[in-house]
Amino acid sequence: MLKVENLTCGYDLKFNLSDINFNVNKGEIVGIIGPNGSGKTTLLKAITKVIKPKKGRILLYDKDIQEIEIKDLAKKVAVISQYSEIGYITVEEFVLLGRIPHYKKFQFLETKHDMEIVKKCMILTDIFKLKDRFMGEISSGERQTVLIARALAQEPELLLLDEPTTHLDITHQIRILDLIKRLNKELNLTVIMVLHDLNLASEYCERLILINEGKIHSIGTPEEVLKYQIIEEVYKTIVVVEKNPISLKPFVLVVTEEARKRSN
Amino acid sequence: MILYRKVPFLTFVLSPLIIVTFYLVSLLFLLSEPINAEMELSKNPQRIISLGPSITKAIYLLGIQDKLIANTVYCINPPPAKEKEKIGTATDVNIEKIFNLKPDLVLATSLTNPKTKEKLKNLGIRVVTFPVPKNFNDLCKQFLELGKLVGKEKEAEKIINNVEKRVTYIKKKVENLYKPKVLLQIGADPLFVATGSYFLNDYIELAGGINIAKESKEGIYSREQVLSANPDVIIITTMGILGEEEKKTWEKYKTLNAVKKNKIYIIDSDKISSPTPVSFVDTLEEIVNLLHSKEK
Amino acid sequence: MKRKSIYWIYWILALCGLLLATSLFSLCTGSVGIPLKKILEVIFTGKGTTEYSIIFNVRLPRIILGFAIGGALALSGVILQGMFRNPLVEPYTLGISGGAALGVCLNIIFRLYQTFTVSTLPLFGFLGALLVILLVYFLSIKKGILKITELLLTGVMISFISSSLIMLIMAVSRAEDLHGIIFWIMGSLEEPNLILIKLALLISTIGLIISYLFWKDLNAFLLGEEEALHLGINTERTKRLLFILSSFLTGCSVSVAGIIGFVGLVVPHFIRMFVGTDHRILLISAFLSGASFLIFCDTLARIIISPLELPVGVVTGILGGSIFIYVLSKKQIILGGK
Repeated sequence: MLKVENLTCGYDLKFNLSDINFNVNKGEIVGIIGPNGSGKTTLLKAITKVIKPKKGRILLYDKDIQEIEIKDLAKKVAVISQYSEIGYITVEEFVLLGRIPHYKKFQFLETKHDMEIVKKCMILTDIFKLKDRFMGEISSGERQTVLIARALAQEPELLLLDEPTTHLDITHQIRILDLIKRLNKELNLTVIMVLHDLNLASEYCERLILINEGKIHSIGTPEEVLKYQIIEEVYKTIVVVEKNPISLKPFVLVVTEEARKRSN
Repeated sequence: MILYRKVPFLTFVLSPLIIVTFYLVSLLFLLSEPINAEMELSKNPQRIISLGPSITKAIYLLGIQDKLIANTVYCINPPPAKEKEKIGTATDVNIEKIFNLKPDLVLATSLTNPKTKEKLKNLGIRVVTFPVPKNFNDLCKQFLELGKLVGKEKEAEKIINNVEKRVTYIKKKVENLYKPKVLLQIGADPLFVATGSYFLNDYIELAGGINIAKESKEGIYSREQVLSANPDVIIITTMGILGEEEKKTWEKYKTLNAVKKNKIYIIDSDKISSPTPVSFVDTLEEIVNLLHSKEK
Repeated sequence: MKRKSIYWIYWILALCGLLLATSLFSLCTGSVGIPLKKILEVIFTGKGTTEYSIIFNVRLPRIILGFAIGGALALSGVILQGMFRNPLVEPYTLGISGGAALGVCLNIIFRLYQTFTVSTLPLFGFLGALLVILLVYFLSIKKGILKITELLLTGVMISFISSSLIMLIMAVSRAEDLHGIIFWIMGSLEEPNLILIKLALLISTIGLIISYLFWKDLNAFLLGEEEALHLGINTERTKRLLFILSSFLTGCSVSVAGIIGFVGLVVPHFIRMFVGTDHRILLISAFLSGASFLIFCDTLARIIISPLELPVGVVTGILGGSIFIYVLSKKQIILGGK
C-alpha cells in the first residue's frame, strides 16, 4: 500500500534521511524505532507531506503523494501527534474536527452522516461517555484516546502515530496500544507507529524498521531486528534479549552499570 | 432536508447584511437631506461661539460680548467670559452642543481639530479660522477681519489706529537705544522659545531688542544654545508654577549676562500668548521697560 | 447537531439585539438628550429640526462608523488569534497601527493635508499600514513558507520602531502639528467625510463575508499548523490570505479612526467564553460584539465628562480591560480548566 523509494529528505541544513526504502502492506502494523535524533519523526513528516523529499518518492497505492492533493491525502491518512493545549473545546467537537477533510466545498454544518461516524468512533474508542466534557478536564490517557477517535473520524486507511505512549503510565500505554491493535484487526487499518519503547514495539508490531543516523539499519520482524548485537550497535548500550514468556516475543533487558560490574 | 442545512449558513450571512441594509437605508436619509442649503453671509451675526481665548478677548474688546453665546473652558479673561456657556476646550469641542446652540458664526483657532471644523461646516454652520498671527501687523489684520465679520468695522479700525500710533511712538523711543539680546521662553521640559515665526518675536523686536532665537527653525532649544548666545534679558511665561522654577534654574548659570544684570522676568502666559492688539501693546510697553531699565 | 445550530442562531439573534440596543442608546444620548419616545417621532416627522440633524448628521454617522470599525477590529482579532494560537495577539501586534500612525505623522508634518485636503490623512494612514504589511510579510517568508513566529516578532519590532519614530517626530514638530498628531493617534469615531464612513462599512462587511470562507481552516488551526495540514488544509495559502485579510481590515480601521486599542484583543476572548471556539459562530459573534462594544464605549466617551469628550481608546481600554478580568476570574471557577 505504501512504498518509500530512495527517499532523501530533511530540514535544510539540519538533519537528513537518506536512501530510505521500504514497503508497508495493507493491514500491517509497522513500528519505527531508533535512537533519539535518528530521523524517525522526519520520516513521518515526509509521509504526510509536511516536508518535501529531496530525492526519491513516496507512493500511496502506487501514486506519488506529491501529486495527491492534501485534502484527498487527509481522507486516507490520519496522523496522531502530541497533544497541544486547547481546553475550550468539548470532546465531541474535537472529534468532529476530524471530519474536516470530508466536508464538501460549501458545506457549512455537519451532516447526519458526519455525526454518525463521530458517534461510531467515540464508541469504538470507548469515550462516548466523555463526549460533553471539555478537553481540559479529562486525564491525559483519556485525551490520547480522544486523539485516536479524532483520527478515526477521518475514516483513514493508514494511521500514523508519533510516539503515542510518551507521558502515559503503563495502564494507559497498554490500553492505547491494545486499542490500536483492535482497530487494526476490526477495521483493517494499516498502522505505522514511531515508538521509543522497544518492548512495546516488539509486542505490538508485526514488523519493525530500525533507523539509525538517517539510514535504515534493519527491517524485519521483531525477532529479526531485536537482536542484542543490533541493539548494542545502534543504541550503543549493553542489553540482553530474552523471550517474553507469555507472548514469546523478544524482550529487551537493560543491563545497568552495577549489574555489569557484578557479572564481571 | 438540504434546505434546513443551508438555512443556518444563510442566517449567519444574512443577519449582518440585514443590519447593514438597515444602516445603509439610514445613510440614504443622510444623503437626501440637503444640509442647510444656503449659508447666509449675514452682515451681523447675532449668535457667536468662540473656540479660543484670544478670540474671546477680541470679542470683548469689540464690545459685542452679548452676542457671544459660548466659549471654551480656557476662556477665563476677562472675568465675565468665565460665566458663558462652555462647549469644550481649545482643542476638543462638543459638536452636538455647538449645533444645538444654533450659532450663526463659529470662530476657530489653529488648535481646533480640522475634522471638527469640517463637521460643523457639513452641518451648515459658518466657521472662520484665525490662525496664530505671524507678527503684530498680522494680529491687527486679523482683528480688522473680525471686526468686518461681526459688523463692527469702524470700531475695529479705530482701535487699530490707536494701537498703531502707540507702537510707532514706542519704536521711535527705542530707536537709538542699545539693543539687548533677549530670550523669550514659553515652555519648559523641553525648553521652548519664541522664534521668528510668530508674533511673539515682535514683543522683542518692537521693544528694541534682539531675539536670540529668531533664526531657529524649531522652537525647541537647548540650554547650551542659550548659554552660547548669552542673552542680556530672559523673559519667562508663567506656565503655572514652572515659570518660577525656570527662573531659579537660570539663576544657577552665573555666566549669563541676564543673571549678572539680574534681568530675568516672569510674565503671565495668558497675557502674552493670547493677546488682543490692545493688550499686545500694553504688554509691549511693559517689556520695553524691562529691556531698557537700568541694571539692578 | 440540531441543538447546536439552534443554539447558534439564538446567540446571533441575541447579539443583533445587543447591537440594536447599544445603537439606540447611542442615538438617544449626548449633550442634547433625546428621549426614546421622541426618537421615532423625530425620524419620521422631524425633518429640518435640530434634533433631526443631530440624530442623522451627528450621531448616526458615529454609530455606523463604530459598527464598521468595532466589527472589523474584533474580526481581525479572532482571525489572528486563530492563526497564531496566541492569546496575546491582536490587530496591532503586527505593527500595522504603528505604520499607519507613522504615515499620518509624515503627512501632518509635511502639511500635505493642508496642501491637498483633510482626506489625505486616512490615505496616508492606509499607505503607511500597507507598507508595514508588505514589509512584515516579505520579511517573514523563508523559502516560500510564511513563518508564523517570524510574523509575530517582526510585527512587534516594527511596532516598537514606529513608536520611537513617532515620538521623534513629535519631539521636533511644531505645536499645531503636534496637536494634529495626537488627535489622530488618540482615535476617534468623528469623521466628517461620509464617503470614508461608507467605505469603512463596505470593507468591514466584505471582510466578514470573506472570513467565512476560512471557517474550516481556522477551526483546523485550533489543533496546530501541522495538524491542520494533516487535516487537508492548504496552510500556506490560508496563512497568506488570512494575514492579508486581517491586515487590510486593521489598516483601514486605523486609517479612518486612528488607534483604538483593546477591541481586537479583548472582544474575541470575551465572546469565546460564551459561544465557544468554533469559528462558524465565533466570527460573526465577535463582529457583532465588537461593533456593540465600540458603539457603547463611544457613547460613554461622549457623555462622561460632557461637554468635553474622552478619546474612545481610553474607554475601550478601561472598560474592556476591567470587564474582561472580572469575567475571566469568574468563569475560571465555574468551568475548571477552561
